Amino acid sequence: MKKALILLGCPEAPAQTPMAVYATYKLTGLGYEVTVASTPSAMKLLEVTDPLKYYIKNKIDIESCLNNAGENSYDFLLGFVHKDAAVSYFVTFYHVLSIKSSMAVVFERDAELLEKFIEDLNESTETTIVSARAYHNPTPLRVKFDRAIEQLGEQ
Amino acid sequence: MSFCLDTYLQESENYEILISKAGFKESKKFIEEHSSKVMYVNAGEKILGVRIIGIPPIPIGINEDKDTVTLSYTKPCYGTAVIELPVKKEEINNIKSLAINPYKK
Repeated sequence: MKKALILLGCPEAPAQTPMAVYATYKLTGLGYEVTVASTPSAMKLLEVTDPLKYYIKNKIDIESCLNNAGENSYDFLLGFVHKDAAVSYFVTFYHVLSIKSSMAVVFERDAELLEKFIEDLNESTETTIVSARAYHNPTPLRVKFDRAIEQLGEQ
Repeated sequence: MSFCLDTYLQESENYEILISKAGFKESKKFIEEHSSKVMYVNAGEKILGVRIIGIPPIPIGINEDKDTVTLSYTKPCYGTAVIELPVKKEEINNIKSLAINPYKK
């Protein structure tokens, strides 16, 4: 079974948790075994959101995941990027995993910051980027994510 | 037991936070401007027992007179800090062995 890793950033952006559940649902539908790596607080949000583990079956602390990850541990990397630190984490995982297939979901309220995050990702990765000015409302991201994930399914 | 940066920062006060809650590129520039020697490593290399996080090439400042290293330290909710801490010669040698370039400056 193909394996996907979803990276969550700081959970202060409200759109992240519902998008994480939604992305897990979509990737599971494409046949991936999905693991979500996050901070303890982001993990608590997922646990309350999905108490029966209907969508999210596998969760792991982001630091231990990074320390134990190696080349070819996963087939697909999906990262939520809405802070500078999340760019750094995504790029680091991208290189540690030597990942061939990846997607960064970049969102921010501020257009300049959004552009900066995209530039930083483009500078050091060849990842697919899905971006939108968003913070509370996940819909702009979900619409673009759906288009991108549809293309992934066709590959 | 081998050195672990996370444990060290929790249990020791013998380190200096030079900047905090910064972006990675700001931290990189700070290390480059404030270190007598700078080495660069790839993202995810194990430095002081943990994988270093950032956009490669990632700078590490080395002060061989004081036996200290200056490096970026990133956490998801707190951004990037630059810390300087004393290390053993063997840790400096380990960083040298992982360096993409031997020296800059």
